[in-house]
Amino acid sequence: MRLEFSEADERFRKEIAGWLENNLTGEFEQLKFRGGPGDEHMFPAERQAWEQKLAEGGWTCVGWPEVYGGRGCTIEQQVIFFEEYARAGAPGRVGHIGEGLAGPTIIAFGNDYHQQKYLPGILAGTELWCQGYSEPGAGSDLANVKTKARFDASAGKWLLNGQKVWTSLAHEADFCFVIARTDPDSVGHNGLGFFLVAMDQPGVDVRPIQQLTGTSEFNEVFFDDAQCDAQDIVGEPGQGWAVAMGLLGFERGVSTLGQQMQFQNELNDIVALAKENGAAEDPVIRQRIACAHADLKIMRYNAMRMLSGQDGSDGSLQKEALIYKLFWSNWHRDLGELAMDVMGPAHQVLAGKPYELTRLQSLFLFVRADTIYGGTNEIQRNIIAERGLGMPKEPRWPAK
Amino acid sequence: MNFTFSEEQLLFQSNIADYLQKEVTPEAVRATWETDTGRDEARWQQMADLGLTAMLVPEAYGGLGLKEIDFILLAYECGRVALPEPLVSTAMVATPLLASVAQDHPQCAEVLQQIATGEALVAIGHTASDFVCDAHTADFLLLPQGDEIHLLPRNAVHYTAQPSVDPSRRLFTVDWQASPQTRLAGGKAGVKLLAATLNRGALGVAAQLLGLAQTMVDMTVQYTAERKQFGRAIGSNQALKHHMANCAVSIEFALPVLHRAAYTVTQQACLADYPVSHAKVSASQAALLAAKNGIQSHGAMGYTWECDLHIFMKRAWALDKSWGHNGFHKNRLHQWLLNPAALIGADKTFGLQQAS
Repeated sequence: MRLEFSEADERFRKEIAGWLENNLTGEFEQLKFRGGPGDEHMFPAERQAWEQKLAEGGWTCVGWPEVYGGRGCTIEQQVIFFEEYARAGAPGRVGHIGEGLAGPTIIAFGNDYHQQKYLPGILAGTELWCQGYSEPGAGSDLANVKTKARFDASAGKWLLNGQKVWTSLAHEADFCFVIARTDPDSVGHNGLGFFLVAMDQPGVDVRPIQQLTGTSEFNEVFFDDAQCDAQDIVGEPGQGWAVAMGLLGFERGVSTLGQQMQFQNELNDIVALAKENGAAEDPVIRQRIACAHADLKIMRYNAMRMLSGQDGSDGSLQKEALIYKLFWSNWHRDLGELAMDVMGPAHQVLAGKPYELTRLQSLFLFVRADTIYGGTNEIQRNIIAERGLGMPKEPRWPAK
Repeated sequence: MNFTFSEEQLLFQSNIADYLQKEVTPEAVRATWETDTGRDEARWQQMADLGLTAMLVPEAYGGLGLKEIDFILLAYECGRVALPEPLVSTAMVATPLLASVAQDHPQCAEVLQQIATGEALVAIGHTASDFVCDAHTADFLLLPQGDEIHLLPRNAVHYTAQPSVDPSRRLFTVDWQASPQTRLAGGKAGVKLLAATLNRGALGVAAQLLGLAQTMVDMTVQYTAERKQFGRAIGSNQALKHHMANCAVSIEFALPVLHRAAYTVTQQACLADYPVSHAKVSASQAALLAAKNGIQSHGAMGYTWECDLHIFMKRAWALDKSWGHNGFHKNRLHQWLLNPAALIGADKTFGLQQAS
């Protein structure tokens, strides 16, 4: 065991810190601490420009292997990158679905065609992605996907019909990875395909969903004979579920490190406010702050422990990662409540009309979704009990 | 001893519930969000015509001469529908304060008569609240200054809107000048009236919180029976059943605390600090749990603006910190509990809670 970073890693830290200091300036100054969860709808164009600035410096996709255009950073270097990125207050990555999910999936499961067609746009920050998984009838029961993909042999195209929902950033995205049923008679996780679909076409209709925050970060996406090329399916028709699940492994990968840095910034804000407005004099508030800090450290330690047990080349985590979603999402939800209690009566007053939330209000409302999306608390506990502990499975009725 | 409401009181509750559920639908609440005042004057007059604003106005001033214990079931029903109008604060918080000084202040007698008929709406400020709700539509404002209480017409007050996270709430900061003419009470009497006002405010909020909690549970029970995943209603999953069962327990066990507090406010207002704080803490816990488990069980749908759940969640989150936050009320509980003269024996469930 060695908990210190090497000299080479410390040099890497100086390099990224220096780059951020020199480049997160001017037009990008306004993006500091913006665009995180709950704030993802803000400054999309400016943040995409920032994405391209990062790309110029070689700071997108730092964990991707060099052969695919990435920086080939070790796990330690990725940790350092995320630490420094957060410390500088650099904005939420508008390209994170491409970099963190679509790209690694295309690298792991895609062929040369997919890799050559799609990776450069992600690397350059010029093409954004969204995730077409959930449907009105397929939330926790994700395998109950109804969207259909039919191959039109005369046109040489796949035609998609159906509806996706809760699709983050679909209104900004250039492409969507979609799970759809290639075998119309199939049920459950059989008979699915994993498609790469261009958003800018007549067959795709994006409608924003207004959230209780008053903003719209996610959308409904309707496919009405939406087309994609014969080659734009990853894996074989009928084998899409394996690809879709492989992708979810990346969701729990090193990208969680950036999230923890975001958490640290939020906690720092709350502590600063508590000192300023006197809430920190309340012993109960002080204890909750201490607990929040202690549990964040636990998350950091656990992430480091999990990550350092592997080379990280595929960005995925070991089985312990199963417990992580449950822990962070509930911690974050509690943090939102702490934020409101620290704000006191001011928590009721908007930053402005018609419905402009302060950062901490936005945090409080947004974290209500943390224990729902990406696997609810209830689903996560089932996964831990069934897959982690090997307990008997819940009875499941076949999907109709 | 009889720790229940009379048939008459329950019938009244049932009638009012029918009226409110019919009139104050989620669609009606949303409609008020789109208006300038956020308030429905016609509805206020309807409620006055039903006698709701007159309940605690003494008979001498045209009211029904009822007490807080009679109003508490109505306050709960106001929470059930997330009523936007300030019925509880005018009729149950402000009215008894005006009534207690009306003999020496003829203008208060006049205001009370107008409350009873629905002509006057009274907003109320307090050191326990940073904002005055509904200053914009109030005909009169009751405002504290030190140990004094003042009554001013709205046109004597400068008020500034503070847009609220709960779109139904209309919050204001107010600037105003005290004068001997506006002063209703001060000194020891003022302190006592302000303390009683705080207790009525917290009591009214506690009742509304429990109503909100019950509605969130009802909505969630219905949604989880309709929403299907894995080929069956999601409510058939043990985890979701337990969420709602926990809410049901916390609501059911907060209700007698609320009723007991209303009783003490009515019978011995000077001893009400402890039971009122107990009610506020219990009701807040129940409402916050119902909000947390309600949205969790609704899944992503509960996170949308379109889903009515947030009408009730946002009110619960706001009221939780109104008229004294959780820490304030818990402090009052332990101050009472650790008082060397506290009467906490097995025979002291009801009755005097403090020796002096």
